[in-house]
Amino acid sequence: MEPNPGTLAGSISIRSDQEEAGFESLQFREEIQRLIAVPPENASSFTALLELPATQAMELLHSPHSEDGDPAPLSADSLHGISDDHKSYISSFNGNLAFPSNKALVERAAKFSVFASGENSPETSLVPSNSSANLEKVKSEPAETDSNPNSSQPLISDPTVESKTQRSAKRKEREKKGKGCTKKSKNETSKDAQKLPYVHVRARRGQATDSHSLAERARREKINARMKLLQELVPGCSKISGTALVLDEIINHVQSLQRQVEFLSMRLAAVNPGVDYNLEGLFATESGSLVESNFPSMVAPLVCPEIPFNGNRQHYQQQWHFDALQQPLWGREEASHTFINPENSLLSYDSANSASLHSNQLKMEL
Amino acid sequence: MASSISETNFEESKRIKRRKTGDELRDPDTIDHTRWRSESEQRIYSTKLVEAIRQVRRNSSPENKVSSGRDIRDAADGVLAVAAKGRTRWSRAILASRLRLRLAHNNMKHKKARVAKVTGSIRSKMPEKKRSIPALQRKAKVLSRLVPGCRKVSFPNLLEETTDYISALEMQVRAMAALTELLTGSPVDRLTSTSDS
Repeated sequence: MEPNPGTLAGSISIRSDQEEAGFESLQFREEIQRLIAVPPENASSFTALLELPATQAMELLHSPHSEDGDPAPLSADSLHGISDDHKSYISSFNGNLAFPSNKALVERAAKFSVFASGENSPETSLVPSNSSANLEKVKSEPAETDSNPNSSQPLISDPTVESKTQRSAKRKEREKKGKGCTKKSKNETSKDAQKLPYVHVRARRGQATDSHSLAERARREKINARMKLLQELVPGCSKISGTALVLDEIINHVQSLQRQVEFLSMRLAAVNPGVDYNLEGLFATESGSLVESNFPSMVAPLVCPEIPFNGNRQHYQQQWHFDALQQPLWGREEASHTFINPENSLLSYDSANSASLHSNQLKMEL
Repeated sequence: MASSISETNFEESKRIKRRKTGDELRDPDTIDHTRWRSESEQRIYSTKLVEAIRQVRRNSSPENKVSSGRDIRDAADGVLAVAAKGRTRWSRAILASRLRLRLAHNNMKHKKARVAKVTGSIRSKMPEKKRSIPALQRKAKVLSRLVPGCRKVSFPNLLEETTDYISALEMQVRAMAALTELLTGSPVDRLTSTSDS
């Protein structure tokens, strides 16, 4: 019985991607939710529930079999993962969460043999082990049960567990040993199994495989990934190294953006409120397409919408726009006093965007 | 009409975006950050912004002659939060605070009851002790105060929210700048000289 998990762990060293088989995760998510939602019933109904995932698992097993051998281990992987899932539930039901690892091992080994023989009814072996199907316990301590198979059997790479864990709110890291394949003691896993579900982290070669350090590493990786995204977003941050300075830059950027918003809102408020009904026509066009500047009659005065805003060009465009805007406004007896001289400043808004806006507006007015 | 064409474009891009996010895991971790740069999003935002500003003007003109910048800014933020479709924490916080304010306002108006205004947790540092709070944590606190609704959020999630918030703010600035330019006919000078990516 013992070598069975070992060989499996040794053979299956592929960690399926977390985003692999999205549809599978959907199916299993629903399945798991259904499992959780069902009120505690007796063993027979639980096995009835188990039938469904078993058949799904068999599907998984069979469908990639038509392909080459590579997916086969993966499917077997997921299959065993699924069986792990339910086995874990069962083990939890059994010992009332007293971590009957031996029992769990035995059950698991039994189920491996069952699956190895290709029987379609694993539930027959589950029935005797099912004293009370407490699905509530499953819900409250899925991590615990999931840790149980992990403790004695370091392989879990199925999309089900991963998808299930991703549904949960809180994350907790778990190790999954690749080559090192050291079986963690039950105590260690029981310690960190009190929390809610988890993500899978692979321990790299030459790194400490302590549960704490792995958790730390996973957390650090998460933080670093997000910091990288932020660095790309904030201009001038990619050169800076060190979290503190990058954070400084980020804070400055956010503050400057907020200040700009305030400044712009003040300007908008300062625009004469009588321009209200002028907004009707203007902003119908603005909200209209930003790309549909195919108003050929209007393009004539317009130089070219794609011209980036250099100083001079912008000057010309501004003047043209200025004239065009003035007329209709005066036509509506509204003189906005903020028609100041155009400044030669670069506008960082999309140049094509605003240029087409001008043309649209012109069309609307005339 | 232009609006119909824009509608179809918008629908299509919306569909495409939905498909993209549907393929990924529906996680808080995998919110698509590039959506604030899409044309359709800008269009949606500018429409709503215009509508909101018009409403602000309408509401404020009977009471006081001038609509303050503060109102416009709140309206713009509210519209931004709505455009976020509630997937991010800061957007929900903005909407929740506006709702709370409106409720309080209604209470004061109708029932003439004094509703205590909740101003959030302003911790007054009475003892000016020079505690060696780690610099990172200090900065994280400052950042969490900047992003609305993210005071008690864990650090990685805070970074996530900040990313989305920054992209949204940039879009907001772009839209408002274009709007002011349309209205006033003069390009808007950016306050800082940071160049946009």
